[in-house]
Amino acid sequence: MKWLEEPQNEAERLLREGLDQAAKRTGDEITHRRVWAKVSEALEAPQPRFAFSGRLLFAGAATALLVAASVVAYPHVRRLSQGQVALPGAGAAGANGPAKVAVPIPTPLPDEVQPRLLEAERVPGHVVSTGKGERARVALGGGAEAELAENSAITWDDQHRPAVEKGSARLAVPHQPPGWRFSVTAGPYVVTVVGTKFEVNVASRTVGVEVTEGVVEVWRGSHSTRLVAGDSWHGPLHPEENQPAAAAPMEKPQPLPAASAKPVLPTSRGLQDAQAALQAGETNKAIEILSRTAQGHGPAAENAAYELGRITRYNLNRPRQAVALWDKYRIRFPAGLLRTETDLSIVETLSQMGEVRAALAEADAFLARHPTSERRQDVQRLAERLRAAETASESR
Amino acid sequence: MGQKQQTKTPLPTTPSMADAELVRACRAGDVTAWRSLYDRYAPLVHRFASALGVPVEEREDAAQDIFIAVFRSLKHFRGEAQLSTWIYRIAARHAIRLGRRRRTRETMRLTMLNEKPTVLNDPSERSTQIATLDRMLDKLPPKKRTVLVLFEIEGLSAKEISDVVGCPENTVWSRLHHARSEMVKAARRMVP
Repeated sequence: MKWLEEPQNEAERLLREGLDQAAKRTGDEITHRRVWAKVSEALEAPQPRFAFSGRLLFAGAATALLVAASVVAYPHVRRLSQGQVALPGAGAAGANGPAKVAVPIPTPLPDEVQPRLLEAERVPGHVVSTGKGERARVALGGGAEAELAENSAITWDDQHRPAVEKGSARLAVPHQPPGWRFSVTAGPYVVTVVGTKFEVNVASRTVGVEVTEGVVEVWRGSHSTRLVAGDSWHGPLHPEENQPAAAAPMEKPQPLPAASAKPVLPTSRGLQDAQAALQAGETNKAIEILSRTAQGHGPAAENAAYELGRITRYNLNRPRQAVALWDKYRIRFPAGLLRTETDLSIVETLSQMGEVRAALAEADAFLARHPTSERRQDVQRLAERLRAAETASESR
Repeated sequence: MGQKQQTKTPLPTTPSMADAELVRACRAGDVTAWRSLYDRYAPLVHRFASALGVPVEEREDAAQDIFIAVFRSLKHFRGEAQLSTWIYRIAARHAIRLGRRRRTRETMRLTMLNEKPTVLNDPSERSTQIATLDRMLDKLPPKKRTVLVLFEIEGLSAKEISDVVGCPENTVWSRLHHARSEMVKAARRMVP
């Protein structure tokens, strides 16, 4: 019998319920996928090795650096505690809410020198700005960073998204895990990416986006424009001023060659409900909700179509049916955001089923289709094993 | 003996694979086995880290560090304890270290900058009971908290807990007894 299973009073009941709920706090699927993406990436990186003496040396050097840093930082921290200057990352949000603070960039840097990466406090209203002849590199979280040109400013909106206020910011965003997007705002537009390099310019009347690598979507309200590497786009900073009042609402920015508008689902309620059903152990209910959601359009439908395969594979343990569902996903969303994950899931599932030839074909197709995938090495190793297995079975 | 041993195609993992086989496959560099091990234990690590007080904004990083530690030291896993016990041990050590760092950071902020620590709420954990439980658990010393969480939330036996925390079983029972009574007292104070 569990402790406090028969609570004697309100306090014991509260405690028991808290413990029961804590036992269900297992994290959501997207969090787990995000963590796995980071773990697999870290495991591929070479592991640093220190001998015992090396460790001592490292500890000594770290202590020396710490002491040196304290000596240098002491006057700044003292001034900060007196309320004079705020350092980036030292907590601009005080008792009166987020403060608007300009980050001092000590001296203009020559072009070839990379500015130091600033770990700014990413709270709504905090501003990092550069003056004439200054540049700054700002960490945006999750490995993303922005390089501010002179006379530029970046801040964070109420949803903690970075927002380019003025000037020009060149952004580099590492590949985001499946189902996860990085967003930055510029005026009334939201630029969402999966993993790419691009530049956002905010002038007095226009907003511009130039894509160097990957795919970017510029959203305004429920309309979007998709840009690929080499594309650029410009839209008015205040679209409502440019439109006659009587005209039909023109939410889409200036049309671009090859740009397409697609509707967006404001919420993915279906996915949340399905997640809740799964956590409650109601797999069939989750599948029912996901099937309904998958019949819709937009990112929620795409996510649901992928999830159907995943649940069938791992919760129902029906690998063949899961592969069929993922195949359906690929037919419907050939360039979907979860395409890489889907291809990978199919390779893994087929190899686990012992379908060596099919798995090998899928693995080769994966390597051809996703030459820059973070999982490329994993798939390469798997393909080698499968090839060896195929050769061994043929020679018997 | 003398019979030709049948060779079987070495294929990656199957979902029903036992922990010992999974560990063997991971050590052999089977990437699908790594993923299976992660999928099997990610919810456990998340739940355990949450109950040990790792705040929501640090939970992903904590889980990442724990799994990297697990994979990198898998070669040292001797299989004497259960794999889960071993993972709990790594996770507990990591969570306690994080807690110590957090407390130092908060003290520094308070003393040097006179700044109150910010507490972020996980939108997925808006339950009053969970929030109350976390507040009560925060008041427990780390050793008692670990034992209580392992017993009451993770459902481990006293023997398994003694393996995780590295103390005799009697000490586990004693810590559990004290932790329970402190929790009941704290709960009484919270109920109007």
